[in-house]
Amino acid sequence: MTLPQIALGAFLALLATFLFSGKRRGFLLFTFSLLALFALQPALPIRYFDFWLPTLALGLVMGLWAGITPLETVLSKENLLSAAWAATLLLLLGLTRIIFPNPFLTASLAPRMQYIFLALVILALGIFLSSRVRAPRQMAQAGTLALVLLLIVLKSPQLSLWSAQLLRVLNGQSAETASSFDLRWLGFSYIAFRLIHTLQDHIKGRLPSVSLQEYITYLFFYPALSAGPIDRVERFVKDLRAPFHLAEIDWVFITRRMTLGLFKKFILADSLALIALSPANAAQVTRAPWAWILLYAYALQIYFDFSGYTDLALGVARLAGIQLPENFNQPYLKPNLTQFWNSWHMSLTQWLRAYVFNPLTRALRGTSLPVWSIILLTQLVSMTLIGLWHGVTLNFLIWGLWHGLGLFLHNRWQDAFRVRVTAWAGTPARQALLAVSGAVFTFQYVALGWIWFVLPTPQTALAFLFRLFGAA
Amino acid sequence: MTQEIIQPIATFIAAEILKQPKRSIQPAEALISSGLIDSFSLVDLGLFVEETFGVRIEDTELNAETFDTLEQLARLIQSRQ
Repeated sequence: MTLPQIALGAFLALLATFLFSGKRRGFLLFTFSLLALFALQPALPIRYFDFWLPTLALGLVMGLWAGITPLETVLSKENLLSAAWAATLLLLLGLTRIIFPNPFLTASLAPRMQYIFLALVILALGIFLSSRVRAPRQMAQAGTLALVLLLIVLKSPQLSLWSAQLLRVLNGQSAETASSFDLRWLGFSYIAFRLIHTLQDHIKGRLPSVSLQEYITYLFFYPALSAGPIDRVERFVKDLRAPFHLAEIDWVFITRRMTLGLFKKFILADSLALIALSPANAAQVTRAPWAWILLYAYALQIYFDFSGYTDLALGVARLAGIQLPENFNQPYLKPNLTQFWNSWHMSLTQWLRAYVFNPLTRALRGTSLPVWSIILLTQLVSMTLIGLWHGVTLNFLIWGLWHGLGLFLHNRWQDAFRVRVTAWAGTPARQALLAVSGAVFTFQYVALGWIWFVLPTPQTALAFLFRLFGAA
Repeated sequence: MTQEIIQPIATFIAAEILKQPKRSIQPAEALISSGLIDSFSLVDLGLFVEETFGVRIEDTELNAETFDTLEQLARLIQSRQ
């Protein structure tokens, strides 16, 4: 996000609170979030896809909501009005093509009105059919499966290249210039994980009853659209429903987090980016000390960039009375890898624990498998999935395995030596020594992992790894 | 009542998870956010609570936000009994 976009986002959140304290604040946030879904989507080379991908996201969300919501609720006046307003916004976006000579609110010119009408008819038909299928459990399972498959296609370079080629041909464009970046769908990884959370909670009977307006606002909430955090729907809706007045704004929190966020993201991270490890500079550096500087610069850059963005998202959301969950808690100061992962991208790891790690561990605890093998398996599966969530490539897989193995080894170390270490660390000086040496070791381990995260192929990553140790 | 719930859980954590049977755990001591209990042991703790007190702790509830101390866990159990 750019500085003007952040400033506008903060202004709109404040405006919503300034104008309305009750239900209408929710309506404004719903409207802003829907518009942001289109406005923040970057331009795509496949014609009109920067309009159609957000439209598809909206269709998916509305269809799934209709599929898991009782029919009489779907057809309530409030929900029909929300659907009509969403359709109106889409048509207004289409109108900008006629009114303005240049793209307005969308990255490129919006499609012609007749196509938007056609899309709305298809959307309405889909929602209608979805609401008539009276099998919400199966709908939630099928929806989860479809979202996972869609994520795999979008995140694997070869599959997204093939999809881009196919879509280009269908669109009357040349397939030769297709690239795997043609389908960059803003925020979809986060939207999909929020959706899966609601679908799985619905199956367990734990999903609270939410209106279409609340559901859409939760999924596309604009401060958290492009980079999270992944909130939980019941927590988000509680804030959204509570009256919120201008006098309740916590200016100390907002000023602190937004100043910190701007400083981290635009000063620290952007400066570090000049020397941070990248596919472009990895092969240029020949001496080990420089290679270490590049690697440490990247480790700090990714932290300041991501946590700075989270600070900004939390600050903007607070202006509208929404308390998004924290995503970082000083991860690089943690004394071991387990605590690092309790403090890094916390909303994603919480999600993985709730829907993958805990159910898997619970199921395996009922078998006769030895404890160490269950820990190894569950840590490897969870961390591999976190790796693949970033992209279905060999290097992200290795990055996930690196961390899964690290968590397993730390667990075994603790199991074997915890009693002895606790007995040894009887004085404050020894405790401090343990904490500092643990943090240094953990940072080193995490930094070495980043090589696989930032470099695209195992060959380039290995070559850089050798260079770090002066072997190449 | 709360003490009757806290005691067996504290004993279980000290003996089975921390492998330090003599370690005393305070009712307000942070268990999860402090790193005392890792994610694997947390599932074990959940299973122990379910078997001992006959209440269900969902997979989505095994986190520091739902309960981080013995006191909070005891309150959660009481609310479901």
